[in-house]
Order: sequence, then structure tokens, then C-alpha cells
Amino acid sequence: MEEQGKPNVTEDATEAFAQELLNEFPSASVEVRENKLGRKRVWIRVDRKEYKALMRHLRALDPEAHYSIGIEQDMGDHLGFTSHLLLTWRGEALSVLVEVRAPKDDPRIDDISEIFPIALQFEREGMEMVGIDFEGAPDKRRLFLPEDFPEGIYPLRLDDKGVSEDMVKNAGHPYYLKGGSKR
Amino acid sequence: MTEKVEYWVKIPFGPIHPGLEEPEKFILTLDGERIINVDVKLGYNLRGIQWIGLRRNYVQIMYLAERMCGICSFSHNHTYTRAVEEAAGIEVPERAEYIRVIVGELERIHSHLLNLGVLAHDIGYDTVLHLTWLAREKVMDTLEAVSGNRVNYSMVTIGGVRRDIDEKRKRIILDAMKYYREVLPQMEDFFLQDPTIEARFRDVAVISRRVAVEQGAVGPTGRGSGLKDDARWSERLGVYPDLGIKPVMPQDVTGERPHGDVFDRAAVRIGEIKQSIELIEHALDQMPDGKIKVFAKDNILVAKLRNLVDGEGIGRYEAPRGELVHYVRGKKGSDKPLRWKPREPTFPNLFAVAKGVIGDQLADFVVAVASIDPCLSCTDRVAVMEDRGRKRVLTERDLIKASIKKTREINPDIRGDPTPVGLGCSR
Repeated sequence: MEEQGKPNVTEDATEAFAQELLNEFPSASVEVRENKLGRKRVWIRVDRKEYKALMRHLRALDPEAHYSIGIEQDMGDHLGFTSHLLLTWRGEALSVLVEVRAPKDDPRIDDISEIFPIALQFEREGMEMVGIDFEGAPDKRRLFLPEDFPEGIYPLRLDDKGVSEDMVKNAGHPYYLKGGSKR
Repeated sequence: MTEKVEYWVKIPFGPIHPGLEEPEKFILTLDGERIINVDVKLGYNLRGIQWIGLRRNYVQIMYLAERMCGICSFSHNHTYTRAVEEAAGIEVPERAEYIRVIVGELERIHSHLLNLGVLAHDIGYDTVLHLTWLAREKVMDTLEAVSGNRVNYSMVTIGGVRRDIDEKRKRIILDAMKYYREVLPQMEDFFLQDPTIEARFRDVAVISRRVAVEQGAVGPTGRGSGLKDDARWSERLGVYPDLGIKPVMPQDVTGERPHGDVFDRAAVRIGEIKQSIELIEHALDQMPDGKIKVFAKDNILVAKLRNLVDGEGIGRYEAPRGELVHYVRGKKGSDKPLRWKPREPTFPNLFAVAKGVIGDQLADFVVAVASIDPCLSCTDRVAVMEDRGRKRVLTERDLIKASIKKTREINPDIRGDPTPVGLGCSR
């Protein structure tokens, strides 16, 4: 859809931001993608060694940057953690996504809670749900899962560390209705 | 010389919440009546929706997302749909965008009225509760007339909306807006002028601007603390820029600088109801004719999405409680997403208010929590202190056993096999 009265500055700001970030972090992959509404997002993929430095840099660009979501996921042989940030840069609200990956046999990613305090809660979720190890996180307790949930099982893993079929029973219904509606 | 002895007491607050019918647990550390520290425990209503989502196709998740929450069911459905549309590159017809605005704003009116009522109830001002909830009935009836349901409207589908708004429905909505224009001044009067409300809401649970930034507070909570952000505005979402959206700040309603307290959050909600009424009227006025969805039937949609979705998509929308984000990642050739993650606005707001209440009185805690309009869902375990002082923890299984025993006592002839099976739904 055509948006009326959209200033041209908007397009430049996102592209310029991506270019400047690329100059600062040449090893990161920075891509600008536009959706059908004309909203541009900057998708950044960064090596885990540079992850913390990049986040610190983004925070310095906008001290009031809004950390909206941390998405932990199983990507096959890697575990990924994507953060969405809303940065106000040159008067423009930019939607920035930062992805970092760690191999499954060494799932260590730097903790960024000293830069964005709320990120800690998403990291706690990432630790229990897919088993990423956030190095240096000040609080490593479980957030959503109960304390008696078995160790070493990560519910959102897609491999054999996920929830196995024998753990899934009757959708938690306390009364086992034999046969159910099939009978 | 005697030293002053301080007694710090830890008390659990919840999971059966006295203010709201939603389970969440706070461990409060108290010094007398003063709150020293708050620890948040979540997961009492963890239903494994993300796990279920990995086993459903894109269209089925639409309905699953809607059932995450009854109050903001449209928001979840809408935001998820936006994420899939971004990942699949689907363009939505303009008429559908307008209908999305109308239903979204109707939902905002009903959600804000609900929260204002709950706030009044939590300070024991039940007259106001009944007045606001009486006013809320009108919008619920309107939603029923438009969508067929009072909650879980199922209005949105990927690539458009499922139902059109015809002349008859348009008239019903306009009637409702006329009603709210009459009722709202009265509501403004008792929320912004009443001394009882001001005494209990002013300077209670102050979330400073710094805490709001650090904890990522969103929606009325963030705006109440002076953060100028509204996802509809900063995202330039759909036709919202054409309708002249701008964030409602406390100073627009109260005329004072933002305090970041309960009063400001309530004031922002009042201002947003007003804004929603205007948005709906404008949207009904400007709505063009045309198609309401891209794909005529759901089976076509499922088949198309299998090839269209390739990559990642983010949906951002301002739900009544704040910025809602959904993330979807899919692969070509599969009708299921590889990852779907929603982030509801209560999540950061809860941690923000947990910081905000430190130093406040225990009695203000209920209204402080209600002021962010928490929308959680939660049942885990109960700690029971036995006579001898030994602590015993009852799990879900023990509780089920106890309840079966009790049921047998009451009615020995009960039928059915009451054997509890498995771990259940990871509670």
C-alpha cells in the first residue's frame, strides 16, 4: 500500500544506518529488507565474539533504545538468539534485528543484561527453553518452567533434547478418557 | 547503646491473585509495611503454546494465537498475521486494513474500560467498577454484532479479514461511538477529578523514566513514564498514519508533566479511549470499497503459504497493553513454521512495575500491579507448612489425588477413570 506523505528521509535513514554499521563492524552481515507495507528493517547477523560490542554500540547510538524481544531458537546444528531493538536515529524509529548463533556442542553467548537490563529475562527464557548458555548472566534461575521439570530437556529443541513423545500425555487432562471420541 | 533491629519478612503474593483473576506470584520482601524487594515468578499458566505451534500449520496457529488471551485476542491474531504476511510478502487490500483498524480500536476501548474498572475495584471503589463495566457492555455488544463473538473475534486472516463491515454494522458501530461520546466525559470526570481516586493513584508505584527505559516498559505503562512510543506510530503500521495516529501522553490528558504513577497510566487509557473513538469514526468514513482478502478460502491459503513463506517476519502492533511482537520463521515447502514466538506487553511491564513498587506500601501493591493491566495466565504447586514446622510441597499430582478423594467422598457413584497420567502439560 502507498503511504501518503511519507518523507524521503525515512528510506535514507535506514540505508544510511546499515551502511554506517557496516563500516563500524565489517565482519557483520547487514541487510535491509522491506515489507509490503513499506516498512524497512535492518537484519544484522554478527559473530558471537563481536555480539556484545555491537549491542554496546547500538546502545551508544540511542541511549533510550527499546529492547523489545529476544527470540531463542533451534536452527538445526546451531542455536540462535535474535533481538529486536527499536532505535531512534536521526529522528527516525528504526527496527533493528540482531542475530547471533552458537554451535550446539558449545552453546555459549555473551550476556548483554548490563547493556539492556530487560534482556536478562529473555535470556533466562532462552536458557530453559533451548539451552543456550548465557555467559555471565547474573540470574540463571528458571523463569517459566517449574523446578521439577527434568534437567537437560529443553522444550523448544527440535532434536532429541526436546520433549519426547512419552512425555506428552493426554494434553495434561487429569482424567484419562480411554479411546475418547474414537470409541 | 542499643542497635535498631530490622525485621525483613518475605511473603508470597499470589499465585491466586487477590486483585486480578490471573495467576502470577510475587515474592515480596517487606520491612514493616514497606516493600524492599520484589521477585517475579512466572509460568503458572504455561500452556506450551510455542511448542504446540511447532506442530500446527500457519492457519491453525492463527486460532491458537487468538486463544492465548481473551481480552486482547484480536491483537495476537493480528500481529501474528502481520508477521506471516511479512515473511510471505503478502499485500493486504486497503479495505481490510481499515476493518483491522476498526476492530482493533473497538478492542482497545473494551480492554481499557475493563482495566479502569479493575483499578477502581482494587481501591474499593466499586461504584466506578460497575459504571465502567456497564459502559463496556456496549462495545462488547458491538463486537458481537460485527464479528459474531464477544471475545475471540476471528476477524483477521492472513491476507485480509474474514468478515466485511456492511451498512448495517457500520450503523451499529456509529451508534456505539455516539454512546461513548456521551459517557466518556462522565468517566473522565471521576477518573481525573475525583479526590478519592487521586489520593490512591497519585505518586503510587512510580516507574521513573530511567527504569522504564531499562526494563523496556511499553504501552500505557511506558507512556505514563514519559516514553513517547506507540507501535502503531513508530511502525507506521498499515493505514494508521493516514488516520493521524500519535502517541497519547499523560500531559495531553492531565496537563501535567508525566509522573509515571498509577494515575498517569489511567489517564493515558482515558486519552486512548477518546483517540480510539476518533480513529474508528475516521476509518468508517474513509474506508474504500473493494476486496477484503487476498485468498478466497483457507485451503488455498494453506497451500499458497507452503510456497510463499521463506525466511523471517516480524509483526509489531500496539495492543491495548503495549507493544506486541510476533516473530515467525518458515521454510519453503513446509506448511508449519520453524519458529513462532510471541512477546506480550505484560512481560517487560511486569518487571518494570516490580522495580517501581520498591519503597511503596504493601497496601498499594494490588493497584500497582493492576495498573499495568497484566494479562498472564498461571498453576504449579502449593507450599504447606505442617504443624511440626517441616515444609511439604504439594505438587499438581498431590492436589489431583486430594481432589479425587474428596469427589469420591461426596459422590461414591462417580463414573470414569480418574487415574492421573504423565507429567501433564509441563506444570
